[in-house]
Amino acid sequence: MTNNVGPTLLTGERAARLRRAVPTLLLLLGLVVASLLSGGIDGLRLASPDRSRVDQLRAAIRDLPDGALVLIACDADLGTYPEIRATTRAAIDDLAARGARLAIVSFTPEGRAIAAAERARIARAGTEDPPADLGFVAGAEAGLVRSIASLVPEDAEGATFDAIREGGGGIGAFDMVLIVSGSDISARSWVEQVGSRLPDLSMVAIAPTFLDPELEPYLRSGQLTALLSTLREGVAYAQAVAAGSTSSRGPTPGPLPMLVGMLIALAVLAEGAFRRLVRRGRRSPGPSPS
Amino acid sequence: MNGFAGADLSGTVATWFAAIATIAVWSYLVGSRRLFVLMQHLLAGLATGYLVLLAIRDVLVPRLAAPLVEHPRDHALLLPALVLVGMLVGGSWLPRRAVAPVGAILVGGIAAFALGGAVVGTILPQIAAALPAGSAAAPELAGGVISLAITSLVLIAFLHGAPRGTMTTRAATLGRWLLVGGIGGWLGFLVVSRLSLLVDRIAFLLGDWLTVLR
Repeated sequence: MTNNVGPTLLTGERAARLRRAVPTLLLLLGLVVASLLSGGIDGLRLASPDRSRVDQLRAAIRDLPDGALVLIACDADLGTYPEIRATTRAAIDDLAARGARLAIVSFTPEGRAIAAAERARIARAGTEDPPADLGFVAGAEAGLVRSIASLVPEDAEGATFDAIREGGGGIGAFDMVLIVSGSDISARSWVEQVGSRLPDLSMVAIAPTFLDPELEPYLRSGQLTALLSTLREGVAYAQAVAAGSTSSRGPTPGPLPMLVGMLIALAVLAEGAFRRLVRRGRRSPGPSPS
Repeated sequence: MNGFAGADLSGTVATWFAAIATIAVWSYLVGSRRLFVLMQHLLAGLATGYLVLLAIRDVLVPRLAAPLVEHPRDHALLLPALVLVGMLVGGSWLPRRAVAPVGAILVGGIAAFALGGAVVGTILPQIAAALPAGSAAAPELAGGVISLAITSLVLIAFLHGAPRGTMTTRAATLGRWLLVGGIGGWLGFLVVSRLSLLVDRIAFLLGDWLTVLR
């Protein structure tokens, strides 16, 4: 008898597990279909129609002096970088097209991995020189403060490194900092630790959507010169920069899969709320018998 | 298509490996725990290896060992720093009285950076920016007043244990709901970020791996 019950229970358990997975599998299937159909739909547009933020960043880059030194602070997070990848690459292209001399540094291990991968990608594409590598600086916010005085590795050689040394060797040597946010050391850390010590340094930021509420006040107060912190702004910027570059920026998320995903998320929320209401309705005592 | 893997053999291997790893992680959805755990261990192992390599290559050798060996006189401060790090590492064997001050310096330093930065870089400039100028337009003034009211209500919500009257209790309840609304709004932003990641992974599988998406 035990032999008969065992497999039945296991099968039942597995079936229950599969039943629980059905909504998630449907979500995946919906996103796959939406991704496949995304290219053929013209009516949907992900790029933000409001170009004010895009114009701010483009103006900040346009106003740079010739041969400006620009520091890319790459401290993105692996879990959110796909959202800002195309925007970051577009900004690097935009800066390179402006003739800026680029250097890249990271204050988080994750950011360093992304920076190394991006440098390798640019080198592989061969259309432009990869940014000068300032490596990884340990110490989080303390490392950030120390970098104001000294950022260049002692054994680093090259024209960009020499230019940074001539300007003092620290963050103050740069005309602008492009902060690629997402991890613990975000644009907020830069504003707090560097902005208060170097108030004339222009800081622009690219951040994933979840950082938007945190960073927007800094843009309004003028502590950040420009900020792209939503997917729609990022896509609009990447499209605006599109001219003149042959390097691959990677795909931006299609509008249809994003729309389908958001609708499913809303449906899940509504389903949860409805279920709770039904449960509450069942718990409340019915009308007393007269 | 995401540009991280080249078109050569190593790039192809990397793409296949990433695709298989993605599917292995998703297999958890249909109850396959073993593959998922295997991927977790792989990630933990790779992350540990990467961090060790990064610490040795980018921190310990170029910023500690090399300066101490090549120019010890120019980097005299590194020696006491090295002693402090050694004491932290050997904390479990050393007497508590010796280790406690070192830990206090570490915690105090981190707190000083964070707190000082928050006050000088965020609180003061944000208060200054939020104050309406003399010539501020009516909508700006109204925005400032609403911000002040919401901030006050949320702060009242944190007054746990303080004596409360009916008005204070109501204000605290309203503040708590505003706080919940704010957190809900932030979670909405987070959903967009995570959804972008999921859509990107699907695009990677369909585009980079299966090449059916161009």
